[in-house]
Amino acid sequence: MTHKILLIEDDPQTAAYVAKGLVEEGMTVDQAATGRDGLFHATDGGYDAIILDRMLPGMDGMAVLGALRAGGIHTPVLMLSALAAVDDRVAGLTAGSDDYLTKPFAFAELLARLRLMLRRGGGGAQPTTRLGCGDLEMDLLSRKVRRGQRAIDLQPREFRLLEYLLRHKEQVVTRTMLLEGVWDYHFDPGTNVIDVHVSRLRRKIDDGEAAPLIHTVRGAGYRLAVDS
Amino acid sequence: MRLLRSSSLRFFALVFAVQLVLAGSLLLFVRYVIADELERSSQALAEALRDDFVADWREEGTAGLRKLIPSRLASLGAHDAAVLFDDPDGNHLAGNIADWPPPVAFRSGWQVYTLYRMGRATPERIGIVTTSLPDGSHLLVGHVIERDLHIRRLTGEALVAALSLTIPLALLGAVVATRVVTSRVERIAETARAVAQGELSRRVPVEDETGDAFAELAGAINLMLGRIEALVSELRMVTDSLAHDLRSPLTRLRATVERAMRETGDEAALGALERVSAEAETLLAMLTTALEISRAEAGIGRDRLIDTDLGRMIEDLVEMYGPLAEERGFSLQAEGSARAPVHRELLGQAIANLVDNAMKYGRPGGAIGLTVTAEEGAVAIRVEDDGPGIPADRREEALRRFGRLDPARSVSGAGLGLSLAAAVARLHGGTITLGDRAPGLAVTLRLPA
Repeated sequence: MTHKILLIEDDPQTAAYVAKGLVEEGMTVDQAATGRDGLFHATDGGYDAIILDRMLPGMDGMAVLGALRAGGIHTPVLMLSALAAVDDRVAGLTAGSDDYLTKPFAFAELLARLRLMLRRGGGGAQPTTRLGCGDLEMDLLSRKVRRGQRAIDLQPREFRLLEYLLRHKEQVVTRTMLLEGVWDYHFDPGTNVIDVHVSRLRRKIDDGEAAPLIHTVRGAGYRLAVDS
Repeated sequence: MRLLRSSSLRFFALVFAVQLVLAGSLLLFVRYVIADELERSSQALAEALRDDFVADWREEGTAGLRKLIPSRLASLGAHDAAVLFDDPDGNHLAGNIADWPPPVAFRSGWQVYTLYRMGRATPERIGIVTTSLPDGSHLLVGHVIERDLHIRRLTGEALVAALSLTIPLALLGAVVATRVVTSRVERIAETARAVAQGELSRRVPVEDETGDAFAELAGAINLMLGRIEALVSELRMVTDSLAHDLRSPLTRLRATVERAMRETGDEAALGALERVSAEAETLLAMLTTALEISRAEAGIGRDRLIDTDLGRMIEDLVEMYGPLAEERGFSLQAEGSARAPVHRELLGQAIANLVDNAMKYGRPGGAIGLTVTAEEGAVAIRVEDDGPGIPADRREEALRRFGRLDPARSVSGAGLGLSLAAAVARLHGGTITLGDRAPGLAVTLRLPA
C-alpha cells in the first residue's frame, strides 16, 4: 500500500531532501511551501499523514494545525520544528499534533516516526502476547526470552528495551525514540548512556550467535532484524 | 518583608511622636500665654495704684496720703489690694500690711511673696511693687494673685488632660497614616516581587489619577516594568529566531552528511563524516541547552511544575546511568525520598548533567552519590563525587554560562551543565550551592517543597 504524504515546509532544500527520501521509500509526496497552501491541500483530504513545519511564512504551523483540527480533519500530523525546548514540544503536542520532531533531524528518525504514526492511524498495534524476530522469541506474559534453545535472563529495563526493538523490528530506532519509548525521558541525558544499555543487551542476545540481530545504523540508531 | 515591616514601625513611631510633640508644645504655649497675661494684668493694676498714691503724695503730702490710703482701700473693696506706707524710719503710717517684709528691697520691680494682710488669718501670694518717696518714706503696693495661681493650676490640669486625650488620637492618626502608606508601598513591593518571580506582565495598580507621589512612583515603576518586559520578549524573540536560523542550516548539514554516509563506501570518509555528525550533534546540544537556560532564566515553564516523587526520579537516573558508571568504574547510588512540585524534564536534565559532570571530573573508581532529603519547606537534592572538587574562590565562575575551569579542555562538553542546573534552581525559586566534601564536590539543589 502506498502512503500519501503531504509535506508543508518552506525551506526548499529541506523539503526536497525529505520528499526525495520519502519517494525512495515508496511513498507519494505532495509539497506546499506556505501554511495557506498547505491548509488548502490538507482540506482536500486523502492524505495518510501530514508533515508540518512549525515556522512558516504567512500562516504558521500551529495556526494550520488549529485550522485543520477545527475543521474536523484528523489526519495524523508530524510537526517539524526548530523550537526544541521542552515547553515548545509540549505546546506542539497539546495543540493536536501526533508527534513532534525537532530540527535538525535524521531522516531515519523522521521515517521511523512517520511509519509509527501511519501504523497507529491504521487501527493501532495488534494486542499480542508473543513477539519474535528470527530465532529470538519473547513471551510478554511469562516475561521469558529465548534465542533458539538458549534462555536469556534480562533485567526489567533490558526487557523493555528489547520489547521496544521487537515492536519496531526491521525499522531504524533512534536514541531519542528509545529514550522516550523505554525510559519516558523527554530530555537528553547526555553522553552515550543509551549505547551502553544497548550494548549490554546486545551481549546477552547476540554473543556467541552466528547471525547478530541488533544492528547499529551509523549516524541514526539501531535496527533489530535478521539480515546483516 | 521584614525590612518593610520594621520601616513601617519606624514610620508609625515618627508620625505618633510628631503629633504628640506638636500637640504638647501647642498646649504649653497656650498655658504660657494665659499665665503671662494674668501676671501682667495684676502687675498693671498694682503699678496703677502705686502711681495714684505717688501723685496723691505730691499733692497732699505725707499726712494727706496717710489719710487717703484707708479710704482708697475701702473704696477698692480691699479684696485684692495690699498697701503699706512707712515713714523713713520704718514706722507704719498706713495700709493693710503690718510690717515691711524683710526680704523686700525698697526699690525693686515686680516680685511675688507670701505675705499676711491685716485682718487675714492665712498668708496669701501677693505680687508687689515698691517705691521710695523723695522724703525718704516707703510705699509698697501689691495685688493678691491667689486667683491667678488657681487659674494657672487649672490650665496645667487642662493641659495634662488634653495631652492624655491627644495620645489615643495621635495613635489613631499614626495607624491610619501608616496603613495608607504601607498598603501603597506593599502593593509596589508585591508587584516587584511578582515580576522578579517571572510574572513580567504584572503592573502596580494605579486606581486614582490624583497624581500624588505614590501615583507618580507607581507610574515610573510601571514604565520601567514595561521596558523590562519589552526587552525580555525582544531577547526571547532573538534567541528563538537565532535557534531557528541555526537549526535550518544544521538540518541541511545533517541531511548532506547522511546522504554522503549512505553513498560512500570509503571507510575513512565514513569515519570523517561520523565525526562531522557528532560535532553537529554537540553544537545542537549546546544550542538547545543555552536556549533552555535562557528560557528558564526568563521564568518560562514555571506553569509546568508538577508534584513529583524525587526519590523515584533519582532512582530512575541511577538506573539510567548505572551501566555507564559501571563501565567507567564508578559506583552510583541513590538515597532518600521527598516530594516537591518540579518541572520534571528540566530538573531531570539538570540532575543528569550533574551526574554527567560527576563522572567526568570525579575520581575514577570513586563513588557518586545522589541523595534527596526533605527539609523545612524545601527539598535538597545532592550530587556528590570524590574527585578534586572546585576551589571555593572559583565556584561562582563554575556556575556561569560557558564557564569552564579546565583551561586545557581535556574533557569534552560545553560548560553549560552547572549553569543549566543553576537556571533550573532559579526557575523553581530555589538555590544551588557548590560545597566541599574534602575531597570531592557536593552540588546541592535546594527547591521549595
